[in-house]
Amino acid sequence: MTTPPIGRVVATELKPATPHQFHFWTATETSVGIGAIVRVDDGGKGTLKDNEGEGGRVVYGVVTDAFAYSDLATPLHDVVGAEGDPERASDAPTARQEIRLWTAAVLRQIPEEPLQPVPIGRVFVATDADVAQALRMDAYLGGAHPTGIPIGLYTSGGLESPVYVDADFLLGPEAAHLNISGISGLATKTSAVEFFLSSIFQHYPAHKGRIAAVCFNVKGPDLCFLDRAGPLGEEDRRRYERLGVSPEPFAKVRYYTPFKSDGVNLNTLRTHPDLVGDVEPLVWGLKEVLDYAEVLLNKDDIDAKADAFIDFLGDRVLGRDFDDGYGGRHRVESFADLDRLFRAIFDGLEAIGKGDMWRTHHIATIRKVRNRLSNISTRCKGLVTDDGAASDLPWGAFEDRSVTVVDLANVDPLGQDLVFARVVSKLREHLERRDLGVDAVVVFVDELNKYAPADGPDSYVKKMLLDISERGRYLGLVLFGAEQFRSQVHRRVVGNAGTQVFGRMDMDELATPGYQVLSPATKIKLATLPIGELMIRHPHFTQPIFVRFPRPAVLRGRDGVEQYPPGADLPFEDAIVRQMVRIDRKAKPNQVKDLVAGRDEEDVRRALAGVRRERPADAVAHFRKLLGSKVSADAPRERRSVPPLNPISEEPY
Amino acid sequence: MVADWVAALVAAGAVPASMVPDASAGRTDATEVTGADVIEGDTLAVHPLDGAPLAPSAVTFLDGIQRWSVVGYDGVTPIVRAYVAAAARRRGARRQLETVDEAAEECAITAVRSLRPEVLAALQRAGPRVIDLDDVAPGQPGRALAAAQVKVDRMREAVEHAVAERIGARLGADEWLVIDGIISDSETLARHPRVVGVVKSHGAQYFSGAELERALTLPHRHRTSVFRPTTRHGQHPVYSWYVRLWPWEGNDLLYGLVRVEARADAATLGVAGPLGAWLHAERAPLSTPDARFDRLLYPIHLVEEYLKARAPRGQMPGRAARLPRTAS
Repeated sequence: MTTPPIGRVVATELKPATPHQFHFWTATETSVGIGAIVRVDDGGKGTLKDNEGEGGRVVYGVVTDAFAYSDLATPLHDVVGAEGDPERASDAPTARQEIRLWTAAVLRQIPEEPLQPVPIGRVFVATDADVAQALRMDAYLGGAHPTGIPIGLYTSGGLESPVYVDADFLLGPEAAHLNISGISGLATKTSAVEFFLSSIFQHYPAHKGRIAAVCFNVKGPDLCFLDRAGPLGEEDRRRYERLGVSPEPFAKVRYYTPFKSDGVNLNTLRTHPDLVGDVEPLVWGLKEVLDYAEVLLNKDDIDAKADAFIDFLGDRVLGRDFDDGYGGRHRVESFADLDRLFRAIFDGLEAIGKGDMWRTHHIATIRKVRNRLSNISTRCKGLVTDDGAASDLPWGAFEDRSVTVVDLANVDPLGQDLVFARVVSKLREHLERRDLGVDAVVVFVDELNKYAPADGPDSYVKKMLLDISERGRYLGLVLFGAEQFRSQVHRRVVGNAGTQVFGRMDMDELATPGYQVLSPATKIKLATLPIGELMIRHPHFTQPIFVRFPRPAVLRGRDGVEQYPPGADLPFEDAIVRQMVRIDRKAKPNQVKDLVAGRDEEDVRRALAGVRRERPADAVAHFRKLLGSKVSADAPRERRSVPPLNPISEEPY
Repeated sequence: MVADWVAALVAAGAVPASMVPDASAGRTDATEVTGADVIEGDTLAVHPLDGAPLAPSAVTFLDGIQRWSVVGYDGVTPIVRAYVAAAARRRGARRQLETVDEAAEECAITAVRSLRPEVLAALQRAGPRVIDLDDVAPGQPGRALAAAQVKVDRMREAVEHAVAERIGARLGADEWLVIDGIISDSETLARHPRVVGVVKSHGAQYFSGAELERALTLPHRHRTSVFRPTTRHGQHPVYSWYVRLWPWEGNDLLYGLVRVEARADAATLGVAGPLGAWLHAERAPLSTPDARFDRLLYPIHLVEEYLKARAPRGQMPGRAARLPRTAS
């Protein structure tokens, strides 16, 4: 044994050693603290390796509580000794005998059977090898197919040991999902997830296939600069090196965001001229929306009748030639087409003047569905297009180790729900068919307090999150969720997260029942965690472990906005030019402007959507084609007054 | 190994016993009347401890313990197991004690000639040092136990002196050694310029009449004049004085009263006041829960606790009532 022991296990009748917990004392000046990993050696032959076959027992534990006390019988004796003067108390020539007594929870015993109380033995601070043994990382760091993914550094007593989680338990199929909670701004939840994703992309085992991430940016510019390098200090670089992770921004990032209500300017903070070219518009038409109409309906709306009518629209009307029963033929491709159909139905019912039923659907149901659908096209004007042309995520073409950021920060909550529901559903569909382009997808959702609250009505989004939590791991659909208050998130969502991460926590939150398993000292540590330190629970770790992670190598949202200030909204023509140039770099701005000049904005938007959908070789030519020939509006004819046949009599009658 | 020799005796035919005499926890001062010569002034006076206390850079505190018990009988001859230990713990700038020297000894005490040969052989084979009560005639065990007590006292003195003299020999120029008890029974210690003994028990009477009253009613934070106790057999001359650590009024006459022994030298007169003030400062922290906290210096208490913690468990005074042990 090269290092001297730092303590010794003590067991009394009141504080006995058990198979799961033990107590030890140390010198008053010691490197041990809450969260430190220690090794107990029962005095056998020494190290674990030596103990094999020697009958020695090695126990690893993590410090969960600490006590200090002196031989002072009662506080009154200190008062008497100092004659009531606190100043004199420190003048005492001898310092009172003190003890540092620590409580540790057992992480692992070797041999594991028979499980016995922790022996009265010497206590050592853990080495790198001890940390690996204690956390059972040896099970997945070695072998033909190692699955370790570095998640942070265990730092205690001058030690910096990399801590790995098991990819099989973080990303499926054995267990999956990660939940991170903590105070906004201090828990560094987003930074942690950025680092985790970076680490996953660099260490995801080749034998497990291809992986990608879809991140929903729901506030500010948090995830808008993942492809830009951020500043790193020497300390961070050293930590990256120790963890075996390259400090680089994400190489493949695709940004999607809906338009603003003007239909041409992107609704994101990543609108700096140098960056906005990378942002794809996210635009959906009626077909995309109708499949997820349930998202738009509140609990009162969801009844069998409305549901049946929506199904009818989807199955019998959408994209087909349809006879309205009153002599009208319709082909519904867009919200506008659908509204025409609704109007035809209402007119038809009114014209015949009897009955409130149209094809077994009551007019009230039809009106309700119409209202809800038209509501979404109004509230999410930039997301939902009337003309039916969609611009969507690259379904079937997800690249390995790519990040897709869906920026919804400035989108109406209804639209956020719709986007989330549809994107996740599509991910699930494609993963089930194994045709997404990757084998596993990490979906990062912040603000789970909002999307999967513990109480409140069941929403479609909540049901989807529950579904991912409970069944996603079989598909490779992995949820990385973040929230401020874990206790206020649906417990099946957090409970199904195999890996749980805690940043700095609010004391009120720590007082809730979900944290009863933590010792008071661990709670205090959680309440005062510095930025960059987290507590991790993972299926292989029998106790929570504190780790530090380096600052992510990407530009933080706030820094990004300062470095790349968002551009102002462009006038309509300039915005169209920007879109066209992004589609086809050969497009000449003046040429596009000439084409747009004098055109109806709706026509221009429709043509642009067509170009975006078709992606032709010559975008401008196709744009011109879709716009059609310019028809100048006729000047209104002068209205000449026609004199009455008979002059108006001046008679009053 | 410690308990092995007891088992060997029992195996050889001795009857096991477990009797801890009341006096086994420590030495008792003989109650006697002796005399003293006042060195500081003509008569025993009272001096306030209002000067600056002595402030040595480091101090070593020394104490000893003794434990003994009857572990068996061969016939009516008691066989005593005794354990003595002494430790010196040094206090430096960090105000914490660090053990710098210690010694311990375990032995068997019995009237060898009264033991059957096989028991004696077993005792000799088992290995502890055997101290023979050769001057005790066979008979009631009480006399043998009284003699054993004296032997244990001598053992403890020897261990204490050995440790103290080693420490005294290597004390730094600004370091002191404080011994719990008298120093007059060791010539080396009695002559050392920076060794001081602190006596908590007051069996010996040095004065009478008004001087005795003055000594025993010494006010708090005062000392008496320095005096030289009359030397008894085997003792070496020292200077001594009383110091009152706590007000005695409302308690007991001897409450907070300690007697200090130091080298019998003119220089001692100069340090009696500062040394008394220093010892007064040593009363904090309180050495509770020890019942002698009014006289027991906290560092000495810590040395004692250290020795107790390291003593063989079987030799500690039993807390339980001495009821017969039930059969298992």
